[in-house]
Amino acid sequence: MAQGIQIDWLGRVPYGDGLELQREAVAARRAGGCGDRLLLLEHPPVVTLGRSTRPENLRTPRAELLARGVEVHEVARGGDVTYHGPGQLVGYAIVDLAARGLADVHAFLRALEAALGEAAGELGVAAGTLPGMTGVFVAGSAPPRKLASIGLGLRGWVTFHGFALNATLDPGDFGDIVPCGLHGVEMTSLARELGEPGDARLFARTRDAVTRVFAERFA
Amino acid sequence: MSIAVELPALGESVLEGTVARWLVKEGDRVELDQPIVEVTTDKVDAEIPAPAAGVIEAIVAAEGDVVPVGGLLARIAEGASATAAAPKPATAPAAKPAAAEAPKPSAAPKPAPAAAAPAPRATPVAKKAAAEGGVDLRAVEGTGVGGRVTRADVERGGRAAPATAPAAAAAPAPAPREAAPKRAAAASAPAPERPAFRADFGHYAIQEGDKVVPMSPLRKLVAEHMVYSKLTSPHVGTVAEIDLGGVSRLRSAHKDRFAETQGVPLTFLPFVVHATVRALREHPALNASVVGDAIVEKKDVHIGIAVDTEKGLVVPVVRHADRLSLAGLAAAIEDLSARARTKRLSADELKGGTFTVTNPGRQGNLYGFAIINQPQVGILRMGEIVKRPVVRTVDGNDAIVIRPMMYLALSYDHRAVDGAPANGFLHRVRELLEEADFDL
Repeated sequence: MAQGIQIDWLGRVPYGDGLELQREAVAARRAGGCGDRLLLLEHPPVVTLGRSTRPENLRTPRAELLARGVEVHEVARGGDVTYHGPGQLVGYAIVDLAARGLADVHAFLRALEAALGEAAGELGVAAGTLPGMTGVFVAGSAPPRKLASIGLGLRGWVTFHGFALNATLDPGDFGDIVPCGLHGVEMTSLARELGEPGDARLFARTRDAVTRVFAERFA
Repeated sequence: MSIAVELPALGESVLEGTVARWLVKEGDRVELDQPIVEVTTDKVDAEIPAPAAGVIEAIVAAEGDVVPVGGLLARIAEGASATAAAPKPATAPAAKPAAAEAPKPSAAPKPAPAAAAPAPRATPVAKKAAAEGGVDLRAVEGTGVGGRVTRADVERGGRAAPATAPAAAAAPAPAPREAAPKRAAAASAPAPERPAFRADFGHYAIQEGDKVVPMSPLRKLVAEHMVYSKLTSPHVGTVAEIDLGGVSRLRSAHKDRFAETQGVPLTFLPFVVHATVRALREHPALNASVVGDAIVEKKDVHIGIAVDTEKGLVVPVVRHADRLSLAGLAAAIEDLSARARTKRLSADELKGGTFTVTNPGRQGNLYGFAIINQPQVGILRMGEIVKRPVVRTVDGNDAIVIRPMMYLALSYDHRAVDGAPANGFLHRVRELLEEADFDL
């Protein structure tokens, strides 16, 4: 069975449109109309609140966020609050786990983490996982510095959502929230870890590295 | 015919899920594969599709219910699909893969390169039927969606080709799950998975005869918290030896009347908690959190009390413990522990502690250092209370006397607190307990 994964760069996509794109992609995947896909994109500034978001994890009043041009979305997902914005590489993974013989969502989470860890490594930032936590962290950092967040949805055995890798965004942009409700975890970015300017070149390199690693690992 | 909608096994480490939202209601007609309910699990939200077309006969698990894997969510009365023109499905509806097919991980078909005859994909019902009927699944042609083997296929195949019995036994998941091979499969890529950090300290390969106990969600939460705390706070431990003679006398004198009037037993724990909150009031550095680059000394004192329950460790919080009398503390601790053991605590009662006291209390527990309950900066751990000979000055002369002694161990976060103030706090707890000036 030919598998592979089709990887597309969609550019900057408003969050609401991203949800719709995913809904369509999942429906197509479930109907067998396409194979597995990885949709790469970035979002305009947006704070998303999950079903279990505790109010105290949103540090800035909603009205103030809106006034600053930060969208606020309530999403029908578990988990706590997240922030997305320019400079963050978002990957929506539309993968039929059953078709890959990988009917284990946690195993898939771990596979995403491993792939992102490898991509970060190629860019020169040693990164990996932390026992008991989801996401990708700078190796040996204490308190943990988080490079990428991961969260999955599942419809039947087809996944959606995916990861958000902080490539060049300013980690200070997370200041309005307590990411994932995790106090004590610092957000960081590849640019900060590398001590490089967070410019379009680094973002493009990040996108290329992620594309290559995913193409290889999910061949 | 009524079809059960069960929570599928979503992953090796997913043991239960919480029903987040029903997308249909009883009496609704649903199509095969239509998402009918959203279930949240740790980090993953899953929509469970209908395993058959029909009418929702009963919703068994309500929103907010926690359902174990395999637990019943709803029942569907199998009926003709709403699209009347569609040919009646020949295969048993239970055979629909998406929701119903939730193979235990080790049974999940893995891409097995070079394997001569990889086990075909089959629904759990089909696997069960195959196991019971002694049918080799590899000899059965699947007619389900995506070529999956359905029960009907097995029944047909079983008659046609009564296969070798032992082969079928491999179909249902055997109990022990092998972690290591599973991980390899997870990467699903030829490249070996890289270790999380530079050094790989190895994995244990599960052997036959080992007992494999999946971690409960609580166990995982505790594990996660412990690792996080150790990574976050440089722990330092310090121990005080405390003479509980005074407290012991007070307790003996009052415990019967106390139990009668207050309705709760008078243990040593409320005395220790009472002394702790008084000392915290005088040493706010220990009633604090590290927030960014600041140390926040909190105005309120809420004490977490570690309670060992059948399911594992929980730490309910006595709110405003500094406003409570000794009797009030005893009652609050008793109430919270009792409800922790019967799982009747609300989520709020487990939140917001500013300092924690733990009393493992088993015999043979001289002292030990607890892990800090984040985001607090200190935790006190009580040792066993034992009668020991100690030297006291009696009428101006040194004498060896017998006293009930306890080691009280403080773990503190050296990011926030240095040794001298930490010891000052611990010493104050000791003084208060030895003075034994408690209102009863």
